[in-house]
Amino acid sequence: MTSNINNEKQAEITSAETDSSRRNFVFGSIAAAGVTIAPGVMLYQTANARSLSDFSLKEGASSKVRWGMLVDTTKQVDWNKCVEACNKEHGLNNETHSRDDQKTQYIRVVDVKNKGTGHSMSLPVMCQHCESAPCVDVCPTGASMKRDDGIVLVDRHRCIGCRYCMMACPYKARSFVHEVLSDQKENTPRGKGCVESCNMCVNRIDNGLEPACVEASNEAIIFGDLNDPESKIAKLLKEFGGKQIRADLKLNPGVYYKGI
Amino acid sequence: MKKLHFLEVEGNSLGYYAFLGLFSLIALIGILAAYYMEHNGHWVTGMSNQVIWGTPHVFAIFLIVAASGALNVASISSVFAKTAYKPLARLSGILAISLLSGGLVVLLLDLGRPDRLIVAMTQFNFVSIFTWNIFLYTGFMAIVGIYLWTMMDRPYNNLTKKAGLGAFIWRLILTTGTGSIFGFLISREAYDSALFAPMFVIMSFSFGLAFFILVLMGSYKYTHRALGDYMVNRLKNLLGVFVAAVLYFVLVYHVTNLYSADHRGVTLFVLADGGIYTFLFWVVQIVLGSLLPLALLYGPTGKNRTMIGLAAVLVIIGGMAQLYVIIVGGQAYPMHLFPGMEVSSSFYDGVVASYSPSLPEVLLGFGGFGVTLLLVTLAVAALKFLPDSLEDAIADPHGK
Amino acid sequence: MRLHLNLLSLAIVSLVLLTSMSSVVASQDSLGPKITIQQTSGEKCILPPEEMRRQHPDLLKHDRIATLREGVRAKADGGKLDGSLKQCVNCHAIKDDSNKYVRIDNDQHFCVSCHKYAAVSIDCFQCHRDIPEGGGDFHTLSNHKGINYNAVVPGTYNLTVQDMANIVPEGYSDDK
Repeated sequence: MTSNINNEKQAEITSAETDSSRRNFVFGSIAAAGVTIAPGVMLYQTANARSLSDFSLKEGASSKVRWGMLVDTTKQVDWNKCVEACNKEHGLNNETHSRDDQKTQYIRVVDVKNKGTGHSMSLPVMCQHCESAPCVDVCPTGASMKRDDGIVLVDRHRCIGCRYCMMACPYKARSFVHEVLSDQKENTPRGKGCVESCNMCVNRIDNGLEPACVEASNEAIIFGDLNDPESKIAKLLKEFGGKQIRADLKLNPGVYYKGI
Repeated sequence: MKKLHFLEVEGNSLGYYAFLGLFSLIALIGILAAYYMEHNGHWVTGMSNQVIWGTPHVFAIFLIVAASGALNVASISSVFAKTAYKPLARLSGILAISLLSGGLVVLLLDLGRPDRLIVAMTQFNFVSIFTWNIFLYTGFMAIVGIYLWTMMDRPYNNLTKKAGLGAFIWRLILTTGTGSIFGFLISREAYDSALFAPMFVIMSFSFGLAFFILVLMGSYKYTHRALGDYMVNRLKNLLGVFVAAVLYFVLVYHVTNLYSADHRGVTLFVLADGGIYTFLFWVVQIVLGSLLPLALLYGPTGKNRTMIGLAAVLVIIGGMAQLYVIIVGGQAYPMHLFPGMEVSSSFYDGVVASYSPSLPEVLLGFGGFGVTLLLVTLAVAALKFLPDSLEDAIADPHGK
Repeated sequence: MRLHLNLLSLAIVSLVLLTSMSSVVASQDSLGPKITIQQTSGEKCILPPEEMRRQHPDLLKHDRIATLREGVRAKADGGKLDGSLKQCVNCHAIKDDSNKYVRIDNDQHFCVSCHKYAAVSIDCFQCHRDIPEGGGDFHTLSNHKGINYNAVVPGTYNLTVQDMANIVPEGYSDDK
């Protein structure tokens, strides 16, 4: 059944390739005609020396990479900083009509208490970027999708707002936009009638930056490539281990937690 | 035995126009309500990020489930060769198509982006049960259409049995698909059960037949055509069997869920401390929607047309309550992010979500019924769907 | 025989249509009001204007698939302009008399001006931002990679987004 998705995707890639070759031809001829590029423009690929930028995004997201996060719940961190950074990055919390239970939250702080032992803790919960994501399976149009590098996100061009993905998500990670929005952030288009969720700050990752919540967490959240044994996150996971929320569902989320 | 004769309903009468006007009005109000919801966004509804599917889905799924059930009468006649049901087969087919249309209208108008219907019809993810359902619904329309054709066009009558068999198999798959929308959801405790597929099939038998009986009795009453006891008794006895069968499935579903600690929470929620959902379950679904109709149908009132009609109405109300408990109640019960733990957050983790239906949602739902009845009203006047008489001498194959 | 007659009448109709069309082409002034497309800062777009007018929907659609679904973030012309709607907005944003960017509900908005004229409705800006963020200066944007969240303070956000919304930084001007 997965092959159907792949076929569809393949068809899309093929059409995209045809398009881009046509365009490359056009751009090539412009370049040959001697159009100069204005000085002072820096290519983003060379702009940042972080390990993230080693990945050439001209090629697109690669299935060799699996982006993931490790949340250390044992660290004393104000997780609201992560929520704040997320809201700021994506321009959330700008609804004017919606009730509180209708407003979008990409990331939330969940307080967990064990009634038996009395032990309690807080942890941030966002889209867990599952390997076998139920939201991707149930989406009728393929709007809910997983990039090759494991990031799960919504293609709003295709989303028809059926909200089946919200029914299917065991982490309650998705929100539906209940009203007309304006003043969106330019990197996070969002609008009425579509479902949305944490996209791991895909725009930042593709530009060599870490997700906003990771940056705001004082290193309580580690971001990196789970597939790369040399990455910090992989080493930490190997040494100290990490748990996934609802691991019993075997969805293999990309977000791990330490101390739950 | 007198000869069976099909005849269009007289479309040029005041009574006909009154019904046409009434149903158009209900449909129009529903569509205006949908426009209001779409124009403003869903914040004007009771739905939220916690209760994602609300009243429109209760109506839509009821109508879709009833659609496949309405086809049963036709299936009994052509697949199971019960000639007694043959006079009703045509109405059964057109009612099935109309119910499905009404349900789909509600479902589509509740989408966040109904303007993108074309996307849903061109971009498919074949892993999605929704995608299967898109094909099941359109295919159902086509197959029942062909089935009706073979019934109503004499040269093709010999194909009726084959087309009927095709339609019967298709409708079983369709309701399985509709039930699986919920059955395949591992995320929520209330769903995640393979029992949803057969339960929805048996629910469709019951809801569809109840709706069929009402339309049949109503149309014969207002067109002053004869409807004998033979036909009505057969149908009402069958309805009783289906209502009992639904009860059986509800019992099995809840008992199995009570037995597994994994699903016990939501079952106790529905059965004992779910507030409105517990009320809807026990009072509306079980007592009003199942036990009372059984008493009305099999008790001393079993011959009384008004009581049979009342029983059918109660079955429909009980069915709506059942779907409300399944759909809304299933979402209101909190998800278990950390099983066994107490959780709380700004996103309403660990609390029972509140939901109260807003007026536009309810109006849109009734609009679906309006569309259904409007289509049936138009169809029975345009083509020969209804026998001009179903008095016992005609309807009873064993009569004189 | 009837077929011939039909063909003949078809030929006549087509001929009449053709003639009327050429007469329209000959007198373009009679086509109704003309549109004046707002000029922007003068930098070159990824294609000449005539081609952009025709091809921008396809280009945008191609890029949205490549970027969103495939994660390809390559610049369209090999370095400077990316083929995103964000890029279009950043270059083509129009300001009103009070030096504020006009929003999508204003007929002067670059996209609206033409789309209204052509009676083609678009829903891009139901989700996409319709004016540049901040000053909308392309060069500063391409160096400016993202906000730094190392020192974010909880509870500060709501003010900033509303204030930021439609404000152009002081001293920003299109003439460089």
